[in-house]
Amino acid sequence: MIEFKNVSKEYEQGLALNNLNLNIDEGELFVLVGPSGSGKTTLLKMINGLNTPTTGEIRIADEDIKNSNIRQLRHNIGYVLQAGALFPNMTVEQNVSIQLDLLGWNETRKHDRICELMVRVGLDPETFLSRMPSELSGGEAQRVGIVRALAGQPNVVLMDEPFSALDPISRAQLQELVFELHREIKTTFVFVTHDMQEALKLADRLAVLYQGELQQVGKPQDILSHPANQFVKDFFDNDTSVEIFLQQVIDAGFGVQQTDETAIPMGDDQTIFDWSREIHDRPNQLIVVDQIILQPEDLVNYMATLRVGVIR
Amino acid sequence: MIEYLQKNSGEIIAALGQHIYISAIAAIIAIIIAVPLAIIMIDHPKGGEFVSQVAGVIQTIPSLAILGLLIPFVGIGTLPAIIALVLYAIMPIFQNSYSGLTNIDPILIEAADAFGVSKRFKLFRVQLPLALPMIVSGIRIAVVLIIGTTTLAALIGGGGLGTYILVGIQTNNDNALVVGAVLSAILALLANGLIKLLGKVSLKRIVIGVATLLILFGGYTVGSKLIAQRTQTITIAGKMGGEPEVLINMYKDLIEEDNPNVKVQLKSNFGGTSFLFKALKSGKIDIYPEFTGTVMQSLVKTSDSVSHNPQKSYQEAKQLLKQQFDMTYLKPMKYENDYALAIRTADAKKYNLKTLSDLQKLSSNFNAAFDPDFYQQADGYPGLKMTYGIEFASVKTMEPSLRYEALADNKIDVTDAYTTDPQLRQYALTTLKDDQSFFPPYQGAPLMKASFAKKNPKVVKSLNKLAGKITTKDMQEMNYQVSVKHRKASIVAKEYLLKHNLIEK
Repeated sequence: MIEFKNVSKEYEQGLALNNLNLNIDEGELFVLVGPSGSGKTTLLKMINGLNTPTTGEIRIADEDIKNSNIRQLRHNIGYVLQAGALFPNMTVEQNVSIQLDLLGWNETRKHDRICELMVRVGLDPETFLSRMPSELSGGEAQRVGIVRALAGQPNVVLMDEPFSALDPISRAQLQELVFELHREIKTTFVFVTHDMQEALKLADRLAVLYQGELQQVGKPQDILSHPANQFVKDFFDNDTSVEIFLQQVIDAGFGVQQTDETAIPMGDDQTIFDWSREIHDRPNQLIVVDQIILQPEDLVNYMATLRVGVIR
Repeated sequence: MIEYLQKNSGEIIAALGQHIYISAIAAIIAIIIAVPLAIIMIDHPKGGEFVSQVAGVIQTIPSLAILGLLIPFVGIGTLPAIIALVLYAIMPIFQNSYSGLTNIDPILIEAADAFGVSKRFKLFRVQLPLALPMIVSGIRIAVVLIIGTTTLAALIGGGGLGTYILVGIQTNNDNALVVGAVLSAILALLANGLIKLLGKVSLKRIVIGVATLLILFGGYTVGSKLIAQRTQTITIAGKMGGEPEVLINMYKDLIEEDNPNVKVQLKSNFGGTSFLFKALKSGKIDIYPEFTGTVMQSLVKTSDSVSHNPQKSYQEAKQLLKQQFDMTYLKPMKYENDYALAIRTADAKKYNLKTLSDLQKLSSNFNAAFDPDFYQQADGYPGLKMTYGIEFASVKTMEPSLRYEALADNKIDVTDAYTTDPQLRQYALTTLKDDQSFFPPYQGAPLMKASFAKKNPKVVKSLNKLAGKITTKDMQEMNYQVSVKHRKASIVAKEYLLKHNLIEK
């Protein structure tokens, strides 16, 4: 269990974190979410000592990390950074071996573990281990970043906006991968993002931060159904309303390709909310998006496929 | 040109080797200082800024000035040259290394920290490899700079290819000038390319390579010192130009003929009067040929006016050197390399001019140009004017190496000359007799410390064989062979000694 007790962080420019109390349970996938400048990354980096609180304490497994050997502590914490942050002068194999070398694993054990994880994240070890980071795509680099973080079987895995630089398809694939990996290895994951959809999709529980203050902690459905304050409510409303495009409905397999003179043309960049306003005014209206006809029932059926608060 | 290369190939290769040696040592020392300094400053941005500023200021001082400033502290020769080069090379290496090390993507440093790596791992596996391209380009800039600047080492007796450039300028020898300049340029290009290649090799191999080179180098230096110690080495230097080079080659032949266990090391074109005199005082060199006139004018302090009688002036110089500097001045040779005024032989015949007094009558028809020193010194033009009452139509100063040609081309009508200058013969010029004995006599003789003379009586005996030898005409002929015909000084010297039975083979 990771505990933050009365944690504050003060910079010259002002307060980055204000008297924050938070518990992250063993084995959960915990997401810290909030707009930029909310203090979520500061909080994450306090767990492995990259940042230290001005006042307050952080306890891992009931031990104040101030009293533990910081390098020892870091050896048992996995870390995934933005865009992989692989060392460009080392091969993939050297990159993913860093923590295993520090932990003193022998060559055979190291190689077996790396190959196993490479296969698990969908990269063929024979093809990829000898490559340099410059020869990888963004998605591949971040998969290697995940292997590097998980290799040493850490007690905690920290992820700092790992997918923010990726294209939407790679991002969705990697979100899926992280979700599954967490289910398999049941280690504590702490994941930072500013993307509300990503937070809702991944989190067992999430914490909403705003201007250094903790706004609300809870399961995704609790936060969506009972937002603690106006900020949380607006943040989620905003986020859901702008981001579901009609193209996503079609991608999910709805609609048929035919022609119908009565259908109103809509763009694939319009949202399901534009669509629902259309249906609200004319309940039986068909719409056509790039030659695909969508019926009013399709909206209901599409919505039914979505988990509460989880939008794919 | 090709002939020149063939004749001098041994010396050129030696100078090239010396050039590489000086440059390599300076580069290695600069790297050893600058790179670790940049590493230390990674975590001290203010310190890094400060070092950058200081290195930048040093960089703006002309390298020639640095050489000059160092002479009082470390003397002359290879050492001050290397120190100046190191000072000069620190800035590009430090600047590049420091910015390479501090501009690494911070996320990579954060990653290294987050995995709990050691400081050593972070430095050698992350920071240095990522900064390597910048460090290497800094070293490249520095090495090219060093190789170019090493040519200035010749000015203070450091040797290297600069010697050829200097000799080329001094003696109007284009071949030497081209050899010096082209070889140092080629060397810079080669080094640049080589380091570029090295930049692609891994850090580990570079470290191993440099370590191996250092060990080999150290071994070579120590080894050659040990071997060299078995025989006595005497260092003889000479001023710039062909005449001193001929003389010191004669000294070498005479000494080595009589003393088989003595090895004479020659440093020709070693520098100007004050360089050589300082080098002699500090023991960097053992002997050099000096003129009585120069001793009286520039080296010793005396309130008496200088005697115009050659024997007297030599005795005075000898005594004052002994009193003031505890030095021994051996017996002079026969010839005098005096100041004189030169005119075209055609004019001499036409106006029947033989002496300076003759010239005085016609001086208002003549345009003169003088060496700047001669123009200013009391024993030069100002004194001459007073003694003879000469008034030229016009007087200007001119770069010494150009004045004979200007005279031959009718650009000027009269100039100052040294009586042994070969150009007098080359351009058909005549010197006028100093009938009122205004110019002090300039007789050449070997100068050394009294302690050296006492310890090496056999060397003194060998050198005294030249006393009273070599006429002005002989010297002028030898200078002509060396400076105009570009024959090697060592051969011209040996020919003279053999012809006059001073040595046997």
